[in-house]
Amino acid sequence: MRVSVFHLVLLAGLAAIGATGCTDAAPSATPGAEGKPLRILSLTPNVTEILFAMGLGDRVVGRSNYCTYPPEAASVPAVGDTLQLNLQEVIRLQPTIAFLITRRTEVPRRLEGLGVRTVPLESDRMDQMLQAIRTIGLETGRADAAQALLARLRADLEAVRGRVAGLPRAKVLFAFPMTVGSARIMVAGRGTFVDDLLGVAGAENAYPEAADWPSIGPQQVVALAPQVVIINATGEDAPPDRAEAIRRAWDSLPSVPAVAAGRVHVLTEAYLTIPGPRIGQAARLLAETIHPDVKGSGALRLKAPDPLAAPQERKP
Amino acid sequence: MRVRPFTSRGYLVSLLVGLGAWGVVAAVAVGIGGRLWAWESAAQMRDALNLRLEAVLTASVVGAALALAGLAFQALLRNPLAEPYILGVSGGAGLGFILSYLFLSIFWAPLLGFAGALATVAIVYTVAQRRGRIEPYTLLLSGVILNAFYGAAIMLLTALVSPAKRGDIAVWMMGNIGAFGPQWELVGVVGAMAVGAAALFAVLAKGFNLVAVGEDAAGAMGVNVGRLRIVTFAAASLVTGASVTLAGPIGFVGLICPHLLRMVLGPDHRRLVPAALFFGAAFLVLADLAACLWEGAGNRALPVGVLTAMCGGPFFIYLLRTRWRRTAEIQ
Repeated sequence: MRVSVFHLVLLAGLAAIGATGCTDAAPSATPGAEGKPLRILSLTPNVTEILFAMGLGDRVVGRSNYCTYPPEAASVPAVGDTLQLNLQEVIRLQPTIAFLITRRTEVPRRLEGLGVRTVPLESDRMDQMLQAIRTIGLETGRADAAQALLARLRADLEAVRGRVAGLPRAKVLFAFPMTVGSARIMVAGRGTFVDDLLGVAGAENAYPEAADWPSIGPQQVVALAPQVVIINATGEDAPPDRAEAIRRAWDSLPSVPAVAAGRVHVLTEAYLTIPGPRIGQAARLLAETIHPDVKGSGALRLKAPDPLAAPQERKP
Repeated sequence: MRVRPFTSRGYLVSLLVGLGAWGVVAAVAVGIGGRLWAWESAAQMRDALNLRLEAVLTASVVGAALALAGLAFQALLRNPLAEPYILGVSGGAGLGFILSYLFLSIFWAPLLGFAGALATVAIVYTVAQRRGRIEPYTLLLSGVILNAFYGAAIMLLTALVSPAKRGDIAVWMMGNIGAFGPQWELVGVVGAMAVGAAALFAVLAKGFNLVAVGEDAAGAMGVNVGRLRIVTFAAASLVTGASVTLAGPIGFVGLICPHLLRMVLGPDHRRLVPAALFFGAAFLVLADLAACLWEGAGNRALPVGVLTAMCGGPFFIYLLRTRWRRTAEIQ
């Protein structure tokens, strides 16, 4: 459905599937290591965020229109997006390497045609995102920075996991706000990055099927009977009156356990759905929302060994 | 023309029959669409009942409004192909709604929707008028062109806004019944407007009949054709704008319903107006039920506006090949 693609492009390339699957291949050239100037073009918001977190922000010469975090990224010239790429601007910026997440195979082809080494990445799942960080490290000659970031993220996630260990796993529905004139809301299916985050935060996804971001109607919500509902209202939906209206719309479904228990939560943090360096924050916010007793008990910032190392290697 | 005595008692009976028929269709749509027998708890069943009731009432008022508007446009423009969607009235309302949604607030959307609908009728009417007469071809073509223009304007807006809103607009443009979260007030307002339009058109029905024979003849019989036009166009635009506000642009209901009714009931608008009210309502309820069952069978949800447009396209061609020719030959 078109709407999901539009939403997901905005929300940090969740919908993207790298077309060529070459992320696992060892890079043949590492421009940063050869002493060639490293000029990075980043066409996906979460990749931009990762680059800045790795200390490569000053090497980013171009970005997509949607790459606005961290705030410093906004001062980098924008070149459109993977749907509408301003090739002239790309040529002017002379990038040596481009990172992107897209289904559109012609975008990497065009960029390669311009002599820009193009590295498609994937971040649909948590392990793919962590793999993407490693790939970026190898491609830019900053493997150490990548490892440091990975270690930090894994420690963050493990801290949250440890905190919710043993707590009952509530059935949680993660949704975006309803749109004007549509009876449907988009929810996180199994097989999304948010589904992974819910797992870390000690919850079970109330949507049972392996789907990307399905749109479901209120009747299906009644049938799913989630115990907690989390609505991610960002941008124009974030102001308090709008968020309250979004929450109130659920009062018409009193049979839903989450509604009956007053556990429909509107969270306005955009990073909840961005597979990037803020996943630790996202997991913590989800955990505190889903398990209210965790909140205030402090110390979610344990440093732990590298628990995700093994699952990450399992990639086919 | 069949001559049947037209008594107030007969009128009341036929109103009740129409109401009853719509009631049966609506009850079936609520029961089957909501799968009311399949729920685990009574609370869930109540929620599903509530949801279906609102969807069925929404479909009813939108269908009734569009069928009445189509009937009125066809009668006054003396053109079997006139219809809110084809004449660009829905498109004008849609553009007004989207402009308001993007730049003002959703609160003003109904008003701007109505303004867009009214402006469209005024433009189409002015363009197609020559020496006090309406030229059917010019009328349809100007409607089609305006529709294309509105389509382009809406596309321009979608190209400029954020991807999230772009998605919203794309979904809205398909024409959907219902919203996430209750909107009983809006359904009530649009429903009252549809019933009001039906009452108004019922009063004007005799005038419609005379205009159908010929505008000069109608004038000679004491019908103030100019005033009849203005009142009817305003009312039809109002209900079209209101229905677009509630459900987005849903096409061809205003084409299909009046024609099916004419095939059965003949050309007398005194019969056609109340029939359009109930049949239009039942028609869109059934279309919505079809979409609902399609989704219930495990498929992706189907926007009901897409469904009616898919039915309406072939029907339009059929009319073009049969009735349009006949009227064109007569003239």
